[in-house]
Amino acid sequence: MTKPKVAICWLGSCGGCDEAVVDINEVLLRVAEAVDIILWPVALDFKYDSIRGLKDGEIVLSVVNGHVRNSEQEEIANLLREKSQLVLAFGACACFGGTPGLANLTTKEDIFNWVYRDAPTVVNPNGNYPQVSTHVNGKELTLPEFYDHVYALNDIIDVDYYLPGCPPPPYLVMYAVSAVLENKLPPKGSTLAPQRALCDTCKRNKSKPDRLAIREIKRIHEVEADPETCFLAQGIICVGPATRDGCGEACMNINIPCRGCFGPVEGVVDSGAKFVSALASILDVQSEEEITRIVDQIVDPAGYLYRFSLPASILKKKRG
Amino acid sequence: MSEYKPKLVCFSCKFGWGYLTDEAALSSKIENWIPIICTGKIDAAHVINAFEEGADGILILGCPEGDCHYQDGNYEAKKRVYILHRLLEPMGIEKERIKLELSIDPEGRRIPQLVKEMSKELVKLGPCRKAKAAEKMPREVVKARGGE
Repeated sequence: MTKPKVAICWLGSCGGCDEAVVDINEVLLRVAEAVDIILWPVALDFKYDSIRGLKDGEIVLSVVNGHVRNSEQEEIANLLREKSQLVLAFGACACFGGTPGLANLTTKEDIFNWVYRDAPTVVNPNGNYPQVSTHVNGKELTLPEFYDHVYALNDIIDVDYYLPGCPPPPYLVMYAVSAVLENKLPPKGSTLAPQRALCDTCKRNKSKPDRLAIREIKRIHEVEADPETCFLAQGIICVGPATRDGCGEACMNINIPCRGCFGPVEGVVDSGAKFVSALASILDVQSEEEITRIVDQIVDPAGYLYRFSLPASILKKKRG
Repeated sequence: MSEYKPKLVCFSCKFGWGYLTDEAALSSKIENWIPIICTGKIDAAHVINAFEEGADGILILGCPEGDCHYQDGNYEAKKRVYILHRLLEPMGIEKERIKLELSIDPEGRRIPQLVKEMSKELVKLGPCRKAKAAEKMPREVVKARGGE
């Protein structure tokens, strides 16, 4: 009997998601016994041509991590979609664009100018910029086209399931793998993680006063945060109220507030917008001056509230 | 050049604005007027959604300070508006595009006037540049989806 074919692939990714797959440890060996891994660029030497040679839908599952920002990433995403029955967007970048998505606050032109011209460590007297096509000694050299925008995977292809996280925790990776192998998948489009907000399971929730009321906002490195107390009660911004649960509180456990890598809770599109309302209601100030003073203590609100989800936010998601 | 007419969405609190007037008659004079029960009810997502749907500006009319029927809805709106100013500016939405006025006008006569005044300011700002970079999809994606 032939084993089901599985592809694991990275697009615009740091490699942390692939590391998360390795982190399922010996379970990985059982997975490797049950399935035939036919593509995994970070770990195994397979060629894209062998994927091109497959029949449509021959791959049972493609686990795709990373965002899409260039034509090569887009081509691979489309190829895997064509050849796969199921595509799982794996990790915050594939699900919502991830931290690289913050690049959508600036333009491609500004990025190129900084990286190839203005950064203090750059020496580029001829003003060379990467070109999609360059002719050298009668030969053509090509590079993928760098797009204007960072895209989440579902901006480019149809995605069947989502597993958020930066990176997704091993136990959810195992749930996802066994759900596929045992054919116990939820309806298409589901996120394979709990539906509630992080605060619902946070151990610090007990320490939260009846009514949160803060008059100062501090950054985590500016104070010695109490490891038992709700971050918001300490005036440290924690986006747990607007973030999906399921991460295993990895950050909380090392005394770092939630930054939102699990994305919005079920039914919410824009976690940043939701957090604005939550944050406003706990600021214990009324006068114009006080509001300005306390809100201005948040350095880079757009970066903070959309750290992982800017390309999937209402204003910055792709359009038609 | 054709005259640019900005799209303005006006939310107003029913406890402070236009409660003595015929809502239907007044709404015929104001485009995109949304009377609501309290400005504290306006979620940041409502404002952001309005921009996404093509609004060039949002005008929020709430009760005077200290006069909220629900105690502090207008203060909540005030805080949200200021956070939104800070949040949306890096995304290309200038703070002048979200305006909050806390006052009282039972007849609602000032609503069309305030809408007109803000529209004039929006004309000066020009069309909202919201999510400019996002409007351009890669050529290949557009092609694959049957576009140009």
